[in-house]
Amino acid sequence: MAVNQWLATGNYFTTYQQEQRTFSTHLDRSIFSIFLLSLFVWPILFPLSNTYMFVIDNVLIAVVAVIGLNLVTGFAGLISIGHAAFVGIGAYTIASFSQVLGDSHILITHFWPLLILLGGFAGAFFGAIVGLPALRLKHLYLAIATLSFQMIFEWFIQSMTFFNQGQTIYIGRAFFLTGEVGRKNHYLFWYYIVLIVIVLVGFGVRNLLKTRYGRCLVAVRDNDRAADAMGMHPGLTKVYAFALAGFLAGVAGGLHAYLYRGVGFESFTLHHSISYLAMAIVGGLGTLNGSFWGPAAIQFLDLQVENLAELAGQFLPSSMNIATALRPFTFGLVIVLFLMFEPRGIANWWRIVKSYTKLWPFRY
Amino acid sequence: MKKSRILMVLAVVVLSLVFVVSCGKKEEEKAVVEEAKVYKLGLSLAITGPTSDAGNPYSKGVEDYFKFVNDTKMLGNDTIDCMIRDDQYKNDVTKRNFEDFVGQDIVFYLNYSTGSTLGLKKDFEEVKMPVIPASYHAGNLDDSNYIFLPVASYSEQLVALSEYVVKNHKMGKAKVAMFIHPSAFGRGPVSDVEKAVAAGLNMEVVEVVEHGKDLDNSAMLQRLMSKGVQYVLCHTVQSPVATMLKDSSRLGLTAGSYGEEGKLTFLGVHYTGGNDLIALAGDACDGYTWTCSFNLTSEAGEGTTQQLALAKQYGRDDKAANSHNYAAGIMVAQVATEVIKRAKAAGLEVNKENLYKMMNEMNGDKAYQPYTTIGPVTYSETDRAGVDMLQIYNVQGGTFKKVGEPMQSEYMKKI
Repeated sequence: MAVNQWLATGNYFTTYQQEQRTFSTHLDRSIFSIFLLSLFVWPILFPLSNTYMFVIDNVLIAVVAVIGLNLVTGFAGLISIGHAAFVGIGAYTIASFSQVLGDSHILITHFWPLLILLGGFAGAFFGAIVGLPALRLKHLYLAIATLSFQMIFEWFIQSMTFFNQGQTIYIGRAFFLTGEVGRKNHYLFWYYIVLIVIVLVGFGVRNLLKTRYGRCLVAVRDNDRAADAMGMHPGLTKVYAFALAGFLAGVAGGLHAYLYRGVGFESFTLHHSISYLAMAIVGGLGTLNGSFWGPAAIQFLDLQVENLAELAGQFLPSSMNIATALRPFTFGLVIVLFLMFEPRGIANWWRIVKSYTKLWPFRY
Repeated sequence: MKKSRILMVLAVVVLSLVFVVSCGKKEEEKAVVEEAKVYKLGLSLAITGPTSDAGNPYSKGVEDYFKFVNDTKMLGNDTIDCMIRDDQYKNDVTKRNFEDFVGQDIVFYLNYSTGSTLGLKKDFEEVKMPVIPASYHAGNLDDSNYIFLPVASYSEQLVALSEYVVKNHKMGKAKVAMFIHPSAFGRGPVSDVEKAVAAGLNMEVVEVVEHGKDLDNSAMLQRLMSKGVQYVLCHTVQSPVATMLKDSSRLGLTAGSYGEEGKLTFLGVHYTGGNDLIALAGDACDGYTWTCSFNLTSEAGEGTTQQLALAKQYGRDDKAANSHNYAAGIMVAQVATEVIKRAKAAGLEVNKENLYKMMNEMNGDKAYQPYTTIGPVTYSETDRAGVDMLQIYNVQGGTFKKVGEPMQSEYMKKI
């Protein structure tokens, strides 16, 4: 290694361990630490209203879910269009406890980290089951299999009286250290919880991708026969990719249940699965930071189109209902444009920006 | 020295006077400002997206009536600022809108869908916010203190319609099928009808059909015929009913007159009917029987004249002006305005606590009769459904016509 470890310029890796490091320079590490610290500090310095905190919480929960989807679709190359169902499984795991024990039972209000984790494991279990067809199916056929799972989930929830036939099942307020997390701090509290989850998941996935198991995912995506010939187990890798994606989706579902203080079927429909997929595509499939960009970009777009549709709804004749079409139209258009002109997503723009700054102070 | 002292004293006196006068002015300004108050209300509903065919005219009804209240100085110098937001029938957006409204200190909230009303129920309780939704789902009232249904619940409407079937059926036990929306909204009232049957309502529920997105109902209708079904009770939205009515008409299965033997007579509750059904089904909906608690513009009256005048005043097209959803929007705005008026008249501060109190006192002599409904609006600690009366309408020659006098379910009290 070069003497000056603050700059990338002139730094050469001499061992594999050096190349595997999360931060290649001290500068990277410092910038990231400051960024992370600012994420924790800004809500205290610049408090936002519940409305905006709620939007941010939603984006962060989507980030957890999309990291999962990116693992299975981006890194392992297995198309999943039933991801919202896995999120729903996590949420409905907690809802099941609420149905059996009551929404204010101590297990729900005090042991919420445990329940969120349980939601993750339930998602992983169903993920592994849904992953089984992946042993035989590929591409569009696998997509149809995951779509079937989404349909089964929707039908199941809407038909079961235990799950209130899809109507809201309430979840009590969480308790933390000094007592109940009240309405005033609800969204701020869950912001910090989801942020901690994201940091843990982000580092976890980043490290996973450097391990044998992570490389297996990419190898199976690129060519599963070649991976098999290299001594990997493509079948097991696919099932394990689905289980891991299911786990993260389940955790996201658990967080969703506590944030909304209730679980209703409408939050886990096919539309939401498509949205998650759109977030992964727009953010950048097969990149970790794409999982952060995607949800933020789609949510931002959604808010803008929402305002536009509302405005248009006031001027356009209601019989034509053009305003209604604006949202799906814009949504579809953005996905198509990204697939055509920037298939590597926003993450690629980030990569370009980074590569410009990497050689600083030299031009090339 | 002496001169400068005098000048200093003068300066202090002048400054003091300026200070006192300016303070006085501020007090005066404050008093003027205090005279005209703005009461903030919130409405979140589907202006676009699913069910916007109902939500769009509903929002116009609310908007127009509050404009009318402000323009005619119904509350004196005070005005109502009702923030109307489109939630596209998405619960998360509704929740966001509600949080925004609460942050802006609204005193009354108007909601729309069943899903979001149920999802926000706990929030309404915590914030202690009086709420009128556009959903008449009976489940909204379970474990709830702050939700007030504008009219009788879907359950009550469907049970009342069942009673109407039994009352007008001529021979033996009426055989009925239910055609419902495949959701909790659709399924909710089914068990109440079954309870009414168990409690002695003389009819047989032969089949409960949860419709999909079928574009052809021929097989289903033939099956119902083979089972001897004579009446089909609908609880869904207009488009699937229109599809079924057109299929039935095409197959020659629709009764020529109400209750004709060997044919099917179709009946439905609130969201299955209205002018949109006529527009979708055309002649096929002739004879369709429908319950509604609102006055319809197809039946001229004082209330409908005022409704049409309001629509004209604010430049609404005929479609919106004649919609029963426009009337429903006006009605909830009327109730909200009325409780504000009553709170003011009682010398109470207009806040959510006092408006909640006024809502609960809206009964007996204090029942409210808006021009949009067929009966008075009554609420109390135990009565959370506003208009208890239901009017039967029947499609004749492409318009809905009143059938008999407004009625009320008897079996709902028994079950």
